[in-house]
Amino acid sequence: MDERLPRHSTANRLPGRPTQNTNLADILERVLDKGIVIAGDIQINLLDIELLTIKLRLLIASVDRAREMGINWWESDASLQSLDSGEQGNGDGGHVQQLERENQELRDRLDRLEQRLEEHTSG
Amino acid sequence: MLARAEAEAVKVLRDALVRAAIAERAQSSESAPVPPKPATRPSSGATALWAYGVLAADADLPRSLTGVDPGHPVEAVSAGGLVALVSRVPLDEFGAEPLRENLNDLAWLERVARAHESVLDQAVQAGTCVPLRLCTIYESDESLRAMLEREAESFADALGHLAGREEWSVKLLVDADALTHEARAQTEDIPGLEQGTEEPSEGGAYMLRRRVERRVRERAAQLATEVAESVHGRLDAHAVDAVTRPAQNPELSGHDGDMLLNGAYLVEADRVDALHALVAELERDYGALGARLELTGPWPPYNFVPGGTGTAP
Repeated sequence: MDERLPRHSTANRLPGRPTQNTNLADILERVLDKGIVIAGDIQINLLDIELLTIKLRLLIASVDRAREMGINWWESDASLQSLDSGEQGNGDGGHVQQLERENQELRDRLDRLEQRLEEHTSG
Repeated sequence: MLARAEAEAVKVLRDALVRAAIAERAQSSESAPVPPKPATRPSSGATALWAYGVLAADADLPRSLTGVDPGHPVEAVSAGGLVALVSRVPLDEFGAEPLRENLNDLAWLERVARAHESVLDQAVQAGTCVPLRLCTIYESDESLRAMLEREAESFADALGHLAGREEWSVKLLVDADALTHEARAQTEDIPGLEQGTEEPSEGGAYMLRRRVERRVRERAAQLATEVAESVHGRLDAHAVDAVTRPAQNPELSGHDGDMLLNGAYLVEADRVDALHALVAELERDYGALGARLELTGPWPPYNFVPGGTGTAP
């Protein structure tokens, strides 16, 4: 039962990857996204699984990836609305979102105004 | 500017989602009993075959591996000059419908993903192995053998391409403060910024500060790009093939600092020692930025399977 497989000599060469400690992001970005794709008998397209796709893409994804996916889709998605509201239960999510959005819009406006002011004063 | 605002907005949204998802994961792992308990579930007893990866028929196979379902060990199924590592999985957990649900449970997914990875980890230590994507499942030995025969040529090509090569991962992490510090040092002597420091009005001083900060931010971003490109370029030159992946989320990966590069490199086995030396050298070269290079491997060559980047059929 506890028989160890023959270890390749390179296995000891390195910091290596004690499997238990390997970070989950490293594993998920590989097993979900990479590796050869061969049709199995049980038809499951990982990319079709909405929640999986969204949550995990975001968990492992960069800003670029998120942007590629657009930033609006999740606002209209009920499952994500509840996701966002988390433990607060039914539905502060939309409100929080709205505040974040307004906050961002205001910050952008401030940035634009400051830049114009700056051009004005330095010009 | 617009791009930056957009990037910031995306980041805010992402962070909120990630917090929620991670909280959910922590919660579910607390509340749910950790070990899966198939025994207590009414079980139809029907099983299917979960496939991990494919090796040449003469490969020295690892033995006594635990599969994604703890009740079933990993076995070998041969056909077409190939051998697939597989294990039985109960259909009431891994059938199409329950699978769809289970994949949305992060704790379940983590367990299965780690088990899948662990089998492949041991397989690559035994020989060249083509990893299959998660959830490649067959109803029977016959249908798995038929697949091996059907795909024999592309597997043989992949095995040939990967033979004697190893996938290694390199992440470049820098300390944001050190990066900003360096950027500030390089920004200070930009002409034009000091002008107006004499007798500035309150508003003028504020504008000046804002302008300096903006330049520092821009320079820091530029530095980050330069360093990432340089490090990746030198690693790439050492490798047979290279890919970059999106930076990881720190809450999931547990890393400190900013991840500027998340690269995978396919390296000839006899150049792996030199890769270690190169990584150490790069870390020294960028020490001023608090750079750390994290080298892990050898990984199952997920990132370098020919045709492995396509979407599922």
